Amino acid sequence: MDKKPIIQLKNVKKSFFLPHEKHDTFIEYATNPMRLFKRAGEQYEVLKDIDMEIYPGEFVGIMGRNGSGKSTLLKIIAGIYEPTSGKVIVNGKMVPFLELGVGFNPELSGRENVYLNGIILGMKKDMLKEKYEQIVKFAELEKFMDAPLKNYSSGMQVRLAFSIAIMADADIYILDEVLAVGDVAFQEKCFNVFREYKKDGKTVILVTHSPQSVKDFCDRAVFLKDGVFQQTGSVDEVIEAYING
Amino acid sequence: MYNYLELLWQFISTDFKLRYKNSYLGIIWIILKPLAMFSVIYVIWSNIFKMDESYKMGLLLGIMIMNMFSEAILMGLTSLMSKAGVILKIKFPREVVVFSAVTISLIDFMFNMIVFLIFSIFTPIQTSLLGVLLFFLCILSIFLLTIGVSLFLSVLFIKLRDIHNLMIVILQLVFWMTPVYYTLEMLPENLQNIIKLNPLTLLVTYARKGLITANTIRFDDFIQVGIVLAVCLLVFFLGNMFFRKKVSKIAEYF
Repeated sequence: MDKKPIIQLKNVKKSFFLPHEKHDTFIEYATNPMRLFKRAGEQYEVLKDIDMEIYPGEFVGIMGRNGSGKSTLLKIIAGIYEPTSGKVIVNGKMVPFLELGVGFNPELSGRENVYLNGIILGMKKDMLKEKYEQIVKFAELEKFMDAPLKNYSSGMQVRLAFSIAIMADADIYILDEVLAVGDVAFQEKCFNVFREYKKDGKTVILVTHSPQSVKDFCDRAVFLKDGVFQQTGSVDEVIEAYING
Repeated sequence: MYNYLELLWQFISTDFKLRYKNSYLGIIWIILKPLAMFSVIYVIWSNIFKMDESYKMGLLLGIMIMNMFSEAILMGLTSLMSKAGVILKIKFPREVVVFSAVTISLIDFMFNMIVFLIFSIFTPIQTSLLGVLLFFLCILSIFLLTIGVSLFLSVLFIKLRDIHNLMIVILQLVFWMTPVYYTLEMLPENLQNIIKLNPLTLLVTYARKGLITANTIRFDDFIQVGIVLAVCLLVFFLGNMFFRKKVSKIAEYF
């Protein structure tokens, strides 16, 4: 591909401080003043030297066991964490769905939460007003929009959150395990949205544990283990690597 | 470009709505708190010495201003922490969170000013266009000062939770170092000089002058307030600089 990459990661490393003793209080410092200068612990390298180029229109799957650094990687791409070293270049409008319903407040009504969540996701208020009916219809919650969110079932909440999220107009979507939403019928609607994204040439990064989802949607995939890509390339190869650990 | 203003307004209106949700008196609490404080002090003080009308209105205004100041600092201080859930999931201009917290205290103050105006029907005040201008400059100074301080403290608070308790004590100290319950003239001269070092002393004094005894305003007063405003502006910019420098790592500190 000779197009310009829409997302580019160059030698990205990320480490966190992993303490070996519990959080210090003044009294602990007073009894052992040396701790002020050196806390016991180590730098734990979550991501080691990640290189990645994603081109416009690609649908890339990221697989990996729990704790392999998938979420950290997504947060770095989304700009929430800064890499310890290395470079992240993003050329396009990005909407990260690291979690559905960011900012949702249980005390507010469904309607109020649509605007709250939508605006936090970077949508314009006018646009939300325009699409409001569409959001409610997609979530199948017409009757409940004036009820406080705390009275919604968890399935209803997720449906509402998902319906808002898909209204976001962006070039890049980052989806973290959000495929497993709602019942089978609603899931089918969600999959249709993803097919729609694909048709429109959007770039999507999908993190999932489900080989089936990767097979259905992704053009290619990566398998993340111990902070490096153990396997990159075709979907089948990556799924096999993932299953074999 | 992020929908900056819409986001700011969304945070303001949400937090404003949520604060007194499920309480019967709702937003009436905004005016009830300073009014109760005023009533307590008024009843005690009026039994101790005879106060003139301008002192009474000055007391009310002073309490309202100090109330705004301490609420702004305490809400600004915890603002980043209380939005941790959102900050960890979405990238957006973080300072919006601090601005919205401090702005809420300013909105509260506006509600309180309505009460002040109602009071002024019964107890006439002496104000003028120039006086109102002086008053606005004072409030602007406090707004900038509290944002600057909050930008600084909100970042520190994430790592150092002691700051909240510490600030409660410091705010008490600031309150008593500001002539709210007393007037400067009641104090011996050497104490007056210490109290005058507190920028809030000047701001409260001139805010009162602007709204209650505007006939005594001189050109010199504007210079004094101008100097304090410049200091507050400096704090605002320093707070911003500190915040911008630290904010990129904030998500890791929670």
